[in-house]
Amino acid sequence: MSTARGIVKRKDLLGLRGVEADEITHILNTADKFRSISERRIKKVPTLRGRTVVNLFFEASTRTKTSFDLAAKRLSADGVSISASTSAAKKGETLMDTARNINAMAPDMVVIRHSYAGAAHMLAREFPFSVINAGDGINEHPTQALLDMLTIRRRFGRLEGLTVAIVGDVYHSRVARSNLHGLTTMGARVLLAGPGTMCRDGMTGLGRPDAPVEVRHSIDEVLEESDVVMMLRIQRERLAPAMLASSREYSQLYGLDMKRLKRAGEDTLVMHPGPINRGVEMSPDVADHQGQSAIMEQVTNGVAVRMALMYLLLEGESDDASA
Amino acid sequence: MTLLLEGGRLLCPETGLDRIADLLIVEGRIDAIGPAEAAGLEGIERVDCAGFVVTPSLVDLSAELCDPGRTWLEDLETGSAAAAAGGFTTVLMSPRTDPVVQDAATVRDLVQRARATSAIDLRVAGALTVDLAGEQLAEVGLMIEAGAAALSDGGRVISSSMVARHAMLYAARLGRPLLLRPGEPILEGGVMHEGVVSTLIGMRGIPASAEVIGVARLTALALETGAPVHLTDVTTAQGVALLRHARAQGAPVTASVSAHHVLLTDEAVADSGYDTNTRLSPPLRSQADRQAVIEALGDGTIDAVHSAHAPRNRVGKEREFALASPGAVGLETALSATVEGVGDLALALSVLSARPARVLGLERRIAVGSPAELVILDPSARSQTAPERFFSKCRNTPLAGRELPVVVQGTLSEGRLVYTRS
Repeated sequence: MSTARGIVKRKDLLGLRGVEADEITHILNTADKFRSISERRIKKVPTLRGRTVVNLFFEASTRTKTSFDLAAKRLSADGVSISASTSAAKKGETLMDTARNINAMAPDMVVIRHSYAGAAHMLAREFPFSVINAGDGINEHPTQALLDMLTIRRRFGRLEGLTVAIVGDVYHSRVARSNLHGLTTMGARVLLAGPGTMCRDGMTGLGRPDAPVEVRHSIDEVLEESDVVMMLRIQRERLAPAMLASSREYSQLYGLDMKRLKRAGEDTLVMHPGPINRGVEMSPDVADHQGQSAIMEQVTNGVAVRMALMYLLLEGESDDASA
Repeated sequence: MTLLLEGGRLLCPETGLDRIADLLIVEGRIDAIGPAEAAGLEGIERVDCAGFVVTPSLVDLSAELCDPGRTWLEDLETGSAAAAAGGFTTVLMSPRTDPVVQDAATVRDLVQRARATSAIDLRVAGALTVDLAGEQLAEVGLMIEAGAAALSDGGRVISSSMVARHAMLYAARLGRPLLLRPGEPILEGGVMHEGVVSTLIGMRGIPASAEVIGVARLTALALETGAPVHLTDVTTAQGVALLRHARAQGAPVTASVSAHHVLLTDEAVADSGYDTNTRLSPPLRSQADRQAVIEALGDGTIDAVHSAHAPRNRVGKEREFALASPGAVGLETALSATVEGVGDLALALSVLSARPARVLGLERRIAVGSPAELVILDPSARSQTAPERFFSKCRNTPLAGRELPVVVQGTLSEGRLVYTRS
């Protein structure tokens, strides 16, 4: 895949819907190069010295927030983090007013996580700073999907032609949505499985016209065909009444345990965006499986992907990047 | 007071009239139609209508004019000006105000102030239930005595079938239409139409079934009680099908839909990048739903198109999509949006004029002796929707910048020009 015809220098990354394959490849290539920085003893390069990155987190987060924080620090950018519990939103300030005030302090980039879809888009439209969407409601979480794709690519050497199953609460999952857009764009086949309330038949329409998504009704139907299985967390905080019977039933019908993993085969890679509810969607021995579980690799790759994006959005050229 | 409209194309979907002729207005009524009659009249006011269409003015069944209580968003004066600029000379005002229009004194006050300040015919809809909460019947009889032209749920669904049924039984003999929105609140927790687009852009959906259940409930109750029910906002293909069935069974039901739903679909939410001006209630639906609505306007299953005028300022709209206040201003764009949506000028005029008039017990026609409620429009002009030029105090439209057909040149109420395009 040639990058010669140029990757548009973009101001923001709001989602993977509509992002072309060569741009995703370019981001993943850049992340691969940045990965080594985190493996050194001195984990810092001067690339973004003098640049300011503001983390604006209106929803709880440990992994993503820390990952963005470290990514900024390892690139020598100055970072500030604001979380919902300490922000003026508690006093009734609107998101737009919070953003106006932050803008008045001249940041180069704002990373935003928010409980409503479109929040990042609004900031991107109204302000000159770059915006990275770190999760907007149930819409998208593009950096998670990119780190997932990086993890898969590092294991399999490619994305094209692989079959990836996404299992669980697809409806409420911004991770699933971003992965769906990204993976199908990169030529992977995506299978979805989960309870009817969370994984609806109409979701076949989510894929690209040339790469439709397939909806299956049981986890066992997808495991045998899949190279990768992504398990999703049941998002209790987002559930409406009667969407689920019980955790016990869910774990028996849709949970991934060693028995199911064995049937899937030892080449099947297990992933999870975290946080895990051990014993619900995944048994502890699967989560910690040496070799087949890539969950900690995902977290490691997350820092590299976020470094790559900060670099590309703030400094990136349309051609080859070098760390 | 005598006025001559010269050389326009007189178009009246009600009577089938469609010819170029002069139209003489005397004392607020159409006095004569034809070229010869007026020729000898000296010294009267003349309006050159050559190249324009002269047609009955529009009637709106659902507009929030925000008075009393939220007059920074709209008031009787600006609301009337916006209506006249959009070709409307009769507007039924929603009781969704602060406080709610729910007693005779408020109705009387609005009727009197409307007469004093508005050049057009503003009519008052009284709340069917106290605070529009769908629980306690408001003093609907006294409000009608005070001049209320209709009773309404103000766009807030009455979720209790028993309250709706009793309200219908009670109001059936009061001789005014009951404007009710079909819906099922428990299914309306989302922020846009549930479908491929909502799933794609990660928004919680409002399923079409919410409306279908509402249509089923209200038409069944209307059939049983005989109350003259008008369903505001039938927007889905399934809702249309059920309404068609109920009407065939003889349910005393009429219906309308907003001009926005005639023109736009849920794609507008995605295409605009979550523009909160595309957040409406009920939500913009799918393309298949829109086609069904247009077909229903054509065969008369849905009687009318209304503006759903809902002024909101930045406090309401400069928010995350899910937190933004639903609604869009519509008085100044309804005609153009409907013409563009249905693609047929005569049908658009009919569903915005004679057909909604009938719901209110009025007539709109060009005939000798009829009231001179007229609009002069340029059918071949197109113009870009420019919110900054609105007469309304608010600018919240999903149509900003969109080029639309038909330009209103002038509007006449009681034979007087109440709007002239400058």
